[in-house]
Amino acid sequence: MQDFTNGSIEDLVEFLPIIAPLILIQLILMIIAIISLIKADDTNGPKPIWAVIIVFLTFIGPILYFIVGRRQS
Amino acid sequence: MQWKTIFMKELLEDWRSYKWIWVPLVFILFCIMDPLSTYYLPQIIQAVGGLPDGAVIDIPETEPEMAIMMSLTQMSMLGVLVVIAITMGVIAGERKSGVAELILVKPVRYVTYILAKWSAKLLLVFVSYLVGMLASWYYVNLLFGEITIIEFFSLFLFYFVWLIFVVTLTVFYNTMMKVPGLVLTSTVITIMAMSVLNQIFSFRLPWLPNSISEHITTMLTEGSIPNELWMASAITLGLSLILLLFSRYIFQTKEMAE
Amino acid sequence: MSVIKVEQLKKVFKGKEVVKGISFELNKGRCVALLGPNGAGKTTTLRMLSGLLKPSNGSIKFQEKNALNDIRYSIGYLPQYPVFHSWMSGKEFLMYVGELAYLSKKEANERAEELLKKVAIDDAKNQRISKYSGGMKQRLGIAQAMMHKPKLLMLDEPVSSLDPIGRREVLTLMEELKEETTILFSTHILGDAEEICDDLLLLHHGEILESGSIDDLRKRHQSPKFELSLRDSANKYVDKIERLESVNTIVLEKGELHIFVNDIARARAEILTKAVQEDWPIVKFELSRTSLEDLFMKVVQS
Repeated sequence: MQDFTNGSIEDLVEFLPIIAPLILIQLILMIIAIISLIKADDTNGPKPIWAVIIVFLTFIGPILYFIVGRRQS
Repeated sequence: MQWKTIFMKELLEDWRSYKWIWVPLVFILFCIMDPLSTYYLPQIIQAVGGLPDGAVIDIPETEPEMAIMMSLTQMSMLGVLVVIAITMGVIAGERKSGVAELILVKPVRYVTYILAKWSAKLLLVFVSYLVGMLASWYYVNLLFGEITIIEFFSLFLFYFVWLIFVVTLTVFYNTMMKVPGLVLTSTVITIMAMSVLNQIFSFRLPWLPNSISEHITTMLTEGSIPNELWMASAITLGLSLILLLFSRYIFQTKEMAE
Repeated sequence: MSVIKVEQLKKVFKGKEVVKGISFELNKGRCVALLGPNGAGKTTTLRMLSGLLKPSNGSIKFQEKNALNDIRYSIGYLPQYPVFHSWMSGKEFLMYVGELAYLSKKEANERAEELLKKVAIDDAKNQRISKYSGGMKQRLGIAQAMMHKPKLLMLDEPVSSLDPIGRREVLTLMEELKEETTILFSTHILGDAEEICDDLLLLHHGEILESGSIDDLRKRHQSPKFELSLRDSANKYVDKIERLESVNTIVLEKGELHIFVNDIARARAEILTKAVQEDWPIVKFELSRTSLEDLFMKVVQS
């Protein structure tokens, strides 16, 4: 039990520098994509599907939404 | 003054459509992705189950110069695609939707219209790319070793010449066609064709636009700016200027309604 | 004094002449209707005047030269289906197009406020245009065309896509704008033209068939005509009546024959004689006078 805990904390410390900035970027991208999706009057394709794509496809989801999902004029 | 009006409107539009947030973030992602995963490769291998007993992890040491070039490689693929995607509708979109019919009956000079849009997108690309590369520089210095300020800015600026060309080419196709998707396809195909040309002729014509990143690698390893890099950059800027002149010409002869 | 003079204006699309060398002048301070059925070439004409299309031939001359030597500076144009930057607010958009027409920020701001009041979207000026109704967009469209105080305001079918209320609002607004500038607007509805216009240009198949002030046209086209209705199908009588010497033209409208004549007495004698000889089942035979409506119907049907 103790071994396991130690191991996971070590892992966490080891991976924090790589993971932290990436998590932060993903989080911000996801949040602004969702805000934009809620505010949008019109999207290419149904909104719920875009919400799923944004939340579940790490990085790619929000980028895809910003490029193809938003309809501008 | 008219230029400023359109330029500011473009910046506002890109701000309200969140481009000023997501493009820099995505460029940071592209730029730090490979240096980070390379550095942490042993840990990653360990974490996903490790190697069988007896196998030795033998990963060659990565030079800081190679590490920062990884960022440019990602920019050349994904980054350029994003640059084209955010520029594909800059004029075509307005013509397709019909707003252009209201804007272009105002006494707007066509050159001003094109240049204002071109420079606004260029600024967005410049800032996003700067932020992304600064992040990469930070990690490379931290994890692989030093890249000096001079090295950083020379590689940063020389590669930006290529991005100027990409933006200009996309704007050029914008003046020709009304469908943003078609602008994207045409630009990507043109760049791919140019890259093939570059591979075939790089030996004889070592200053085609697509050769810029190869010359940047040479610059970093040799520690001095090769002549070919100056040449390639000058030619790329010259081509961009010609494209802008053509854009203006095409736009002026085009009918703004059908 | 004329504001704009158009000579031999022609537009060819893919070998087809859409506008066939038309000439006209617009007088200062008048409200002119460009009247014609769909496909007559109204939009094409307006687009050429606004600089969106390049004429295949002919000339467009503004009497007053502006400092920029750009006709777009002197005109305001509202397309039939205006599209805005819907992410902007109404006021932002007005200021944007105002500054494009060389107003300073301060001037653009004042002019935008003034026009927003005039077109009655003052309350929604800071709302995004995507939230506007069709009537509001049309009125915003008129405001954006008026931002730089153009010498000539051109509106392409400004009321045809609106509901009765929106239509009334826009017509009233145009009535007010007549005081400020010369107006040229296209429509396919004669009633709209008669209601607010001074002059008329009747366009059909790319040609101007009639032009002049509405009053003059009314007088000129008050020629006598007979209205004839019969119990059986009126169709089979068209030929017979047309053959009569005193008859000019004949138009069939809602089962009723409108017979245009020169000499009332002679025509009456001829028609009635024929009717008695062949025992036509006449329900109604009446003398009346033609109206602009008849002129328009005649044009549209021919």
